[in-house]
Amino acid sequence: MTFHLRFWLNGQEVRTEVEPDETLLWVLRERLNMTGTKVGCEAGDCGACTVLLDGRPVTSCLLLAPKAHGRHVVTIEGLGSPAKLHPLQQAFITYGALQCGFCGPGMLLSAAALLTQNPHPTEREVREAIAGNLCRCTGYQKIVQAILAVSRGEVP
Amino acid sequence: MTVITRPAPPPVVEEAAEGAVGKRKSRHDALLQVTGQALYGVDMKAPGMLWAKAVRSPYPHARIVRIDPTRALSIPGVACVITARDIPHNRYGFTHQDQRVLADDRVRYVGEAVAVVAAETLRVATEAAKEVVVEYEPLPAVFDPIEAMQPGAPQVHEGGNIAARLHIRDGDVERGFSEAEIIVEEEFRTPFVEHCHLEPHAALAIPGPQGTLTIYSSVQRPFLVASDVAKVLSMPLSHVRVVATSVGGGFGGKNEMTLEPWVGLLALRTGRPVKMVFTREEEFQATTVRHPYRMRYRTGVRRDGTLVARSVEIISDCGAYVSWGASTLAKACIHAAGPYVIPHVKIEGFLVYTNNPVGGAMRGFGVPQVGFAYECHTDSVAAAVGMDPITFRLRNGLRDGCRLPTGQVLERVTLHQTLQRALELAGWERGAVP
Repeated sequence: MTFHLRFWLNGQEVRTEVEPDETLLWVLRERLNMTGTKVGCEAGDCGACTVLLDGRPVTSCLLLAPKAHGRHVVTIEGLGSPAKLHPLQQAFITYGALQCGFCGPGMLLSAAALLTQNPHPTEREVREAIAGNLCRCTGYQKIVQAILAVSRGEVP
Repeated sequence: MTVITRPAPPPVVEEAAEGAVGKRKSRHDALLQVTGQALYGVDMKAPGMLWAKAVRSPYPHARIVRIDPTRALSIPGVACVITARDIPHNRYGFTHQDQRVLADDRVRYVGEAVAVVAAETLRVATEAAKEVVVEYEPLPAVFDPIEAMQPGAPQVHEGGNIAARLHIRDGDVERGFSEAEIIVEEEFRTPFVEHCHLEPHAALAIPGPQGTLTIYSSVQRPFLVASDVAKVLSMPLSHVRVVATSVGGGFGGKNEMTLEPWVGLLALRTGRPVKMVFTREEEFQATTVRHPYRMRYRTGVRRDGTLVARSVEIISDCGAYVSWGASTLAKACIHAAGPYVIPHVKIEGFLVYTNNPVGGAMRGFGVPQVGFAYECHTDSVAAAVGMDPITFRLRNGLRDGCRLPTGQVLERVTLHQTLQRALELAGWERGAVP
């Protein structure tokens, strides 16, 4: 039994057949070849697979793909492109907020969701917003600095 | 005594630093990382690719009576199953050639791989791995390195459980203790630590012309892996190309061969690309960890705070195979006396096999364990002579021209300046700091 999935991915309509027990993460990476969304734990713990579902950050490893039916999904590929970076992407580069970079896509999307809802967060609110995104390299300090810099309009 | 002699280091060339040091530089791959374009091991794929899944031991120690892949092979979509019998040279390791690509006669830890299945989809490979029948005869297991050192303990390998023994001796430690006015003795233990890099181990093997092989892997040491893969698969080194992808964290956990020979052999057998990604459970259970250490420190000191003697015994829980165990223990022993002037030193290290997960390389390579112990111990020794811990460190800390227990004479030592700066930054006020 297959499910006819239809959703909006980075603003474009996507139609694909999926097994009903496939996760959105699997559909993005394996069926649609969008590997910017990372796979870390497949248990909702690490946040590497974070995408935006109707603007809210979700761990796509725990979301069954049919749950995205008719909804809007934004992945890192939709946040900005090398030619036109989102300010957060530029800030992560400028502040050295990435080392291995594997947490980056999820971290950036959590940060983007925060700034959309709350354009001028406190440091505490930034830390709470990225609490579901683990980073094993940076120690978070530069990530927090980068997000706060964007909120203050310090990044072009 | 082990003496390490090295030529004097070249003079520091200030010019070399020009243009980089002190300036902000972006990572060369930062643009790819923030846009999701960087390709990690988990992201690699190729047309017609099969997925591989390992069959792992549920026992910490058992004899393998029989492996029967018939049922797994009968599942539609299963392409190949490999076991130890398919590995031409089933031994590898850096200092000790004790590790198996796939377990042969015995399994020695929970999660040790005994077979690997390749199938059309990950779903089928995962189901088929459960259908590979492995009959085990459980054996007594040992999980504590102290117990493993006792006579009559279950033997993890033939030839005893002490895999390696290291000594460093400097001066006459007995005389040193006889000259001490106070002796402080303590034991410290550190636990297992999993690297927990966010990206699991992942590799894609692609068969090429004339029996050649290209393996894309999330690995820190592609050349070591290429030579180990060539060795265990009995292939010319020129036929194995290992390409390191972007690595989503390693920290020493991707410092050796793991899944590469499996996907490599399966690709050669099937003539198709084969991909494998470890689950997080496999990462915790079946990949290397930081060695747990038990460290017994004994230090003799005069009432005026002068260190005179130190003996250290380190017992490293190596797990089921040596891997980087002997090398990490060597580094731990070299550092075990700490950055202090001590005339009489004796250090003994034991690397002990158990049926625990295999210890490997991890940030600091044995030094964080002893560093934790000797600094805690230094506080205790300072307290025993009634000295402020900072004053005590400044008094006994290594300086230019000091000789380490290994015989190395130090140059450009900045311990005192570093400590002073740390005190300033930390706002340390307690005690009399010279």
